[in-house]
Amino acid sequence: MEEAAAEVVNNLESLKFIGAGLAMGLGAFGPGIGIGILGYGAMQALGRNPEARGPISTNMILGIALAEAIGIYAFVTGLLLGIL
Amino acid sequence: MPKLGLKAKLLLAALIFVALIAIGAVFFPVPQPEVHLSPNYGGHSPDPFFTLGPFYFSNTLIASCITLVVLVSLFALATRRMKLVPGRLQNMAESVIEWLLNFMEGIAGPDNTRRFFPVVATIFLFVITNAWLGLIPVFNFIGWVAPHPEPVATSFFGDYTGPIVEVALFRGANTDINVPLMLALVSFVCVEYWGITAVGPRHYISKFVRLQQFSSGLKELVKGHVKAGIGAIMSGAIDMFVGALEGLSEFVRIISFTFRLFGNMTAGEVLLMVMLFLIPFCSLFVVFYILELLLGFVQALIFGGLTLVFATMAVAPHETEH
Repeated sequence: MEEAAAEVVNNLESLKFIGAGLAMGLGAFGPGIGIGILGYGAMQALGRNPEARGPISTNMILGIALAEAIGIYAFVTGLLLGIL
Repeated sequence: MPKLGLKAKLLLAALIFVALIAIGAVFFPVPQPEVHLSPNYGGHSPDPFFTLGPFYFSNTLIASCITLVVLVSLFALATRRMKLVPGRLQNMAESVIEWLLNFMEGIAGPDNTRRFFPVVATIFLFVITNAWLGLIPVFNFIGWVAPHPEPVATSFFGDYTGPIVEVALFRGANTDINVPLMLALVSFVCVEYWGITAVGPRHYISKFVRLQQFSSGLKELVKGHVKAGIGAIMSGAIDMFVGALEGLSEFVRIISFTFRLFGNMTAGEVLLMVMLFLIPFCSLFVVFYILELLLGFVQALIFGGLTLVFATMAVAPHETEH
């Protein structure tokens, strides 16, 4: 067991793949929570004022895209480590 | 045939679904797709079709030329003989432009919209046409085929021997990192240009280089009020740091724009390929196709909308504190 673990850790290629998985996995926490909070705020606003549906949904989509960009950075990091 | 109730129909549909999966997996094996970040799939850097001096032609360049031809011909045909009561093509073009104008006026206000409309609308239309053209079956499908005599592993059991497309002739232009980079640089240059021409270069630079409080603190020190001088110097230093951060964030926006569009489009392509080749003969793929259509539209909206927001912030006359 120990030799297998040492073999994995000493090999640079395998560490890269572990890093790729960690990058995408841990990097999905923040955007997920952020988008959830944005949706929560949008639902509350919609419940209070259903007539303002247009501006609320437009701004919510803008905010969600900005938050999702961070998740995309994590994905690109994972791609760079895993494929290139 | 007896009449089937709802439960029986659902059970029959599920059985047909499973049977299709089984038939597809056993009799028609498909290879697993390979994902490449560079166009032309040539190792670490693109291996172009042919080079013409410093320019090289890759499949994403051909795709963006197709986009150009489609957009220009569409709008040229629509405005060829304009009538007061429009025909169908002119009506469609007018409704697209009107929707864009309303969207921009909701964010920026009427006179700003007039000034920013050409660049923002071009960015929006270019990104959305690139994204949607990349979803036609012609893209990623026609290309240089290499026959594979040695069998390739598939998702289920069995091996695939047959032709495999090595290099595609057309590939969605947004998946090449140069196109989002170009759009981000154009957006950056245009926002700075509008900001400088709207409020004047000195006032615009004073947003990033805020020496006001620092120099007034130095003047207080020279006059002899030590306490007030040192307080103003410290808050002036913080002010300068904040201004430098704002200047840095202007440049970081280029990278953020690039990777947002590139990452979304590449992730979408990867998702579509994996879903298509995972379970052949099942229409699970259609859901992800609809998602990709929506995502292309949203990403175009985000790119144009964020450019508009930053341009509006840049031309707004900002107050400095005294």
